Amino acid sequence: MSTAELSAEATRRPFTGRRVRFGDVALQVVAGAAALGVTVLVGLIIWKVFEQAWPAIQKYGLGFVTTVAWNPVLGHEVYGAGSFLFGTMITSFGALLLAAPLSMGIALFLTELAPNVLKGPVTALVETLAAIPSVVLGLWGILVLGPVLRTTIEPWLHSAFGFIPLFGEPSTAGASIFTAIIVLTIMVLPIVSSISRELFLGVPHDLKEGALALGTTRWEMVRGVMFPYARGGIAAALILGFGRAIGEAIAVTQVIGGGVFIHWNLFSGGDTLGSKIAASYQGSTTKLQTASLIYLGAILLVFSLLVNLLAQWIVRRSAKKHGITRGGHA
Amino acid sequence: MSAQSLTGPNPRLDRLPRRKAVNRIMELLAWLAAAIAVGILVVVVVSVFRHALPALNLDLLTKDPIPFSLTNAPQGLANAFVGTIVIVGIATLMALPVGILVAIYLNEFAPASIRNGVTLVLDILNGVPAIVIGIFVFGLFVVGHGQSGLAGAFALACLMLPLVSRSTMEILALVPNSLREASLGLGVPQWRTTLSIVLPQATGGILTGTVLAVARVAGETAPLLFVSSFVGTQTEWNPIHALQTVPVAIFELSESPDPADHARAWAAALVLLLFILFTSLAARWLANRNRSKLTAR
Amino acid sequence: MRKLGPSTRILALVALAGAVAAVAVSAAGASTNRHTATTITGAGSTFVQPLVSQWISPLGSAYGYELQYSGVGSGAGIAAITARTVDFGASDAPLSTDQFSACNGCEQIPWALGATSVLYNLPGVKNLLHMDGPTLAKIFMGQITAWNDPAITKLNPGVSLPSTKISIAHRSDNSGTTFNFTDYLSSVSPAWNSQIGRGVAVNWPVGSGGKGSSGVAALVSQTPGSIGYADVFYAIHNHLSYFAVKNSSGKFATPGLRGMLSAAQSDQKPAADNSLSIVNPPKKFANAYPISTFTYVIVPLQSSKAPDLKKFLFWAVTKGQTYGPKLLFAPLPKTVLVVAEKAIAKIHS
Repeated sequence: MSTAELSAEATRRPFTGRRVRFGDVALQVVAGAAALGVTVLVGLIIWKVFEQAWPAIQKYGLGFVTTVAWNPVLGHEVYGAGSFLFGTMITSFGALLLAAPLSMGIALFLTELAPNVLKGPVTALVETLAAIPSVVLGLWGILVLGPVLRTTIEPWLHSAFGFIPLFGEPSTAGASIFTAIIVLTIMVLPIVSSISRELFLGVPHDLKEGALALGTTRWEMVRGVMFPYARGGIAAALILGFGRAIGEAIAVTQVIGGGVFIHWNLFSGGDTLGSKIAASYQGSTTKLQTASLIYLGAILLVFSLLVNLLAQWIVRRSAKKHGITRGGHA
Repeated sequence: MSAQSLTGPNPRLDRLPRRKAVNRIMELLAWLAAAIAVGILVVVVVSVFRHALPALNLDLLTKDPIPFSLTNAPQGLANAFVGTIVIVGIATLMALPVGILVAIYLNEFAPASIRNGVTLVLDILNGVPAIVIGIFVFGLFVVGHGQSGLAGAFALACLMLPLVSRSTMEILALVPNSLREASLGLGVPQWRTTLSIVLPQATGGILTGTVLAVARVAGETAPLLFVSSFVGTQTEWNPIHALQTVPVAIFELSESPDPADHARAWAAALVLLLFILFTSLAARWLANRNRSKLTAR
Repeated sequence: MRKLGPSTRILALVALAGAVAAVAVSAAGASTNRHTATTITGAGSTFVQPLVSQWISPLGSAYGYELQYSGVGSGAGIAAITARTVDFGASDAPLSTDQFSACNGCEQIPWALGATSVLYNLPGVKNLLHMDGPTLAKIFMGQITAWNDPAITKLNPGVSLPSTKISIAHRSDNSGTTFNFTDYLSSVSPAWNSQIGRGVAVNWPVGSGGKGSSGVAALVSQTPGSIGYADVFYAIHNHLSYFAVKNSSGKFATPGLRGMLSAAQSDQKPAADNSLSIVNPPKKFANAYPISTFTYVIVPLQSSKAPDLKKFLFWAVTKGQTYGPKLLFAPLPKTVLVVAEKAIAKIHS
């Protein structure tokens, strides 16, 4: 019960001296203005982004989203988001593919397997991974990870699995989609694992112990009880991790190498929506180019909003579902 | 005694060795996953440490950079450290009061529908990528007026706001209603109750949320690239001008071919990392202490 | 002592925050007062950045100016001065008519003369390697992929070249150096001219992008077998080799002062917009380095900082040029200097 409801109660049973004070109204107005301000801010962000992108939206319409071209040469200017959307998809899905099993493993370790003395420190360490600024990870990516990948991992993957188009010619500069995927995985990992850990902690003990009492191994209990119970939350966690990956611009632009094409070779360079904006924005010379870059930002914004709302909806739905289930076990 | 003892063949018991093996493998994989995560953290932190050592000296914090220096004159990143302190400081002053007010409104005054709506708005704000915030602030403040540290601070404040609001709301919700009821019952007006009784109980949580928000934005590069990156080499305190910041400096130095630039980038990254790690851990310790203090009532 | 009530504590905290804020603001104000220096801000070309960086300190002692220059690429420099977020822009590529009208009352003034070197990283080969235009175009189009390709070995008889793969490093940002380089390739290779063309940014068929001249130098330094292009200072400063490029008279010229000055002789009369084109000079300029270029400062004709801007620019095209040679920037030829000074005089408040 909020203070508002309590004081509304009190007014219903008036006693001498009780009246609406100026201070109450003042605080409510000021605090309400702040809340209104935040709402206006978000609306302003959406509006300002679309307003600056408008010249490009007018010129290219929705076809921009699928056009694979980015030619800034004066007289031949043509812009399209296709190759960057592809880059965003392949890097974010790649990162999610690597991060999902790792996060599940970490979360399970922290809830089921870790000796008590390790639980605290390992939890703190994994969450510390989230605190590393993206520019520092990008610095590490360019100067440490990139060369290692270029000289050892990429040639090995190419020689072992080169028949798969994903593992084509190794990159020559260490900057590639593959490097970006690794860096993004490191960023997504702590988010998904900490949410999963909380979810697993929330699985009711009686459900877990019931399964174990029936003779399942621990893994079978996890697979049969914990995963289904936490299914909604895990989906939301993965979606939030995905949202983090698509929005990352700085670290990606440092390690991805740049390029405007759709290549399945993970070892080639490329660009994502965010990394293209970060790389080209300052140097944009024509109004159309600037508007096109912001159009990329608008696409990214819409994408993030959808991802965010989807995650929220899933969380709400699964919370409702579990509420009913728990109530039913009264 | 074999598995096929008294009750006849039991498929589950028969497959037991295989199921136990699968279980063992899964447990090992989970241990491996945790080891990989901790390993990555250790590798990155050790990398930063090792590469930062050659340039880790007082010059880093006290001397300004000398680009394309033909001599070996001492240089550092003083302008970046000063700029970060100023910009993050102003951002905190912008985000803190607004964040607290929003949380107060949502927790103490708002009917449930508005509370859900504004909470959704805050979550949306939290999910907007930092680079889009940079585009927004660029269009709002920089076009026509030029870059400034204030615009940078505003951008960072937009990023801090949801974090401050959310943690303030959480801690306000933890403050027991009995406190509010007692105060109202004694005739204290609602505004006084909120400000003098409820809010002081929440200062610990507010502090935690602020510290976490500061740790988050101290390393933020994207928005500052657009609104505060045309900077000089001299240390500047006035936020009306564009100020150099540590993350932008690291970003620019990371793409240089000069190993001396790289060393300075690593050193700045180490200082930034240590600051963020220290504040994150402090915030977590504060949060645990507050939670136990409030819930122990 | 009695403990202070909670509201008093909060009030005290707010007062303290206010006091800190007041101190900070006044300190900020004080430090700007201490800065009796006038700040002149500029942004743009990384090509000319080494030279401009050398000017910061002597300008401060001569006039008390604080020069702030951000090397963000010629394209960004043009965009910045168009939006008036800086006092001057710098670009190696002359402005197009569209850019002039967008800039609304700007002029461009040549203020330095330099050369774009084609730098490479080939460990084990110490000789000065030769290169010519058509071969270079094929390399950057991805048609020649190995160092021991016959086209390259033909240009370098007697040098044993490895079979290392060639990797290309180009600019990822809008760059006047790219304009200079692609201008050259377009004039020596009809195929390049029709398929790719010239510009501050083009659709590179192959290669990785680096940000700024530094970025290209970084890419080349890190990757054995790579070739890139950047102002010759970046090659020297990062211990990278560069090609001697064949000019129209058949001579292989290096990007040194002699090559630049010889190329500059091929266009002694700036156009109406003060631009000059000295790329691939005709064969009577026997010593010319064919990828040389003037670089321009872009200023608004009307500026609130006009007197300081004029003083700075006059200094730059005269005294400032003396800092050039050791960075491999040749001093402005007399005819160009005259035009530059006339253009600077046009700036008014």
